[in-house]
Amino acid sequence: MSGKNELSSRQSLFSRLTNPKYVMVYATIGIFLVIYLFGVIAYGNQGFTTLRTFMNMFIDNAYYGISAVGMTMVLITGGIDLSVGAVASLTGMFIAYGTSVLGVHPLVCILFSLVVGIGLGLLMGWVIHYLNVPPFITTLTGMFLARGVCSLISRESIEIKHPMMDALAGWKIYFMTLKDGEWVRIRPSAFINFNVILFVVMIVIGTIILQKTRFGRNIYAVGGNEQSAKLMGLPVGRTKVLVYGFNGLCSVLAGVAYALYVKSGWNLSLQGAELDVITCAVIGGTLLTGGVGYMVGTLFGVLLKSIIPALITFNGNLLSWWGKIATGLLLLLFICIQKVVIGSTSKKSKKK
Amino acid sequence: MKKKFDLSSLMRSKLTWAVVAEALILLVCLLVRPDFFKISYQPSTGMLYGNLIDIVNRSSEITIIAMGMTMVIALGGTDLSVGALVAVAGAIALKFMRWDVTVYNTPGDYSVYPFFLAILVPLVVCILMGLFNGLLIAKGDMQPIIATLILMVCGRGIAQIVTNGKQFTTGYSPFRVIGQGSFLFLPMPIIITIIVILCVSLFVRKTAFGTFVEAVGINRSAARLSGINAQMVIFIVFAITGFLSGISGLIYSSRIMSNDSNNAGLNYEMDAILAVVIGGTSMTGGKFSLAGTVLGSIIIRTIVTLVYYFGIASEATMAFKAIIIAVVIVLQSEPVREHFAKRTRSRSQFARGGALK
Repeated sequence: MSGKNELSSRQSLFSRLTNPKYVMVYATIGIFLVIYLFGVIAYGNQGFTTLRTFMNMFIDNAYYGISAVGMTMVLITGGIDLSVGAVASLTGMFIAYGTSVLGVHPLVCILFSLVVGIGLGLLMGWVIHYLNVPPFITTLTGMFLARGVCSLISRESIEIKHPMMDALAGWKIYFMTLKDGEWVRIRPSAFINFNVILFVVMIVIGTIILQKTRFGRNIYAVGGNEQSAKLMGLPVGRTKVLVYGFNGLCSVLAGVAYALYVKSGWNLSLQGAELDVITCAVIGGTLLTGGVGYMVGTLFGVLLKSIIPALITFNGNLLSWWGKIATGLLLLLFICIQKVVIGSTSKKSKKK
Repeated sequence: MKKKFDLSSLMRSKLTWAVVAEALILLVCLLVRPDFFKISYQPSTGMLYGNLIDIVNRSSEITIIAMGMTMVIALGGTDLSVGALVAVAGAIALKFMRWDVTVYNTPGDYSVYPFFLAILVPLVVCILMGLFNGLLIAKGDMQPIIATLILMVCGRGIAQIVTNGKQFTTGYSPFRVIGQGSFLFLPMPIIITIIVILCVSLFVRKTAFGTFVEAVGINRSAARLSGINAQMVIFIVFAITGFLSGISGLIYSSRIMSNDSNNAGLNYEMDAILAVVIGGTSMTGGKFSLAGTVLGSIIIRTIVTLVYYFGIASEATMAFKAIIIAVVIVLQSEPVREHFAKRTRSRSQFARGGALK
């Protein structure tokens, strides 16, 4: 293991970056750039090129991105988690009900949500690994449970009213530019908010976990081949349980971000979000069979998924339903690319 | 061939636990409502009414889809697109009956295109969509869950575009019969479900097709090497599932006499998969049980009915569904079943005076 590390550190940056294992990530980035370029050419004069449009893609999809960080890890282990949307929705319910009805401080609500979310994640991981129940079914049950508890709390949408939440939701950092020796906001004003920072921080944390820690390497090993990982003496069970726990954490944070975004809790919010999040990860080059996936890819997967509604808004004539169809087609395209890439690399390795 | 009654194998059978679960839920129902099993006859509509009838009636959409889903899961896959196909079928059927709609107007007892077109076209489209899934999986060699995710994402968009984002309503009486009519004192959906169950079981068990499906599900390469056209099997299974989703979609839209591209078939894929798994078919593929699936679908519906009785919000039924399903799944899980089977085995050996291992 250490020998391989020495070897890779001795390789030049260029040869490391051209490693064929990053092909899918490059494909995602490339297609994103192509679509972005199309937007620039088609709607450049309507303001598509502005920093504001670009930042809005982050702001409007930060909660998907936060959730996608955990989902990517789950997918790399070869599992799946369908409970993320419901757990995020439950977090929103806890915050809304706690602050507006019970009068509890939002931090307490968030802490409680973290305990519930991580607890549910760990429990699902335990059931998946030790009771050998398929992840799909286990997390589906988790989704039903979380969604049901949401509805038990309230069937009505509850507004979140608390000074801290208002302050957090309204907190913005504007992009500034130097003009006549004075710092002024760029026009049209572009800003980042708490959600965007949380999203970027989670992507960085996810990257560090996956690339720099033993836990991250275990995740890849378990996803690559669980049997081999077990025979190598890796803690397969612990890794899987912790991954689902981490995904629970991500879902709760996504729920917090969503609560800040819409400033309310609703029992039916984020329905179907789990599949959107999976779509983001898959578009980002994560294989559902496990063992392959990178956080950078997921980041661009989220951006790719968010650029489609942006383009449809700029077009103005298309029904928003075309967005769904475009996303589906994008998914199809990526799976085809994956097939071609995997096909060619496996042929190469056979030749060797 | 007479099978020897064996408690330990009975304890190990997944179907046993499903039956026990259903019996327990019905028992609770009976405790809550003593008149739960009462069935009455309404001469004005010529239909039987009662909770049991209602449970079977309301479970029919899921049961029909789950018949196809059983085979998909037996192949080792999942079909996530069924819910979207339900929406597509409803949208197309309503579009054909109400082609003239430009603004909202009161629906009359008429259909713009002949009735058979309004029924046939949605079913054909659903079969084609099923074949598209099959194409990606069989020829493209993709994972079923991802291949069907495409249509799941696209499907509702397609349904919206077919109807231009509108919701049509109709008063056409032949269409009403599908979801609300009756035959032989039973609601029509039950009759359709029984026909579907019979057709699928006959096709699967009286021909070699069921064995082919199981063989492909256990080991696709081995099945191919032993002369089974694995690609064709996958094609047929996904086409059947698409067709059955179409039927389910027609029943759904006939019940509400409208199309609802957002909510029609919402979470049906989840419910259908759950029904199959509760019925004892393993998600890893291989052997499957159609009877178990029917039972699984009815269990899900019974839970929902039971929760309604406690006056709990319909959305909240999910929590109770989850708890009961969790219990069933944990009981069905391999380690637990092995544990029970071992205990029974050692106990019966002990009773016979045999040596403990």
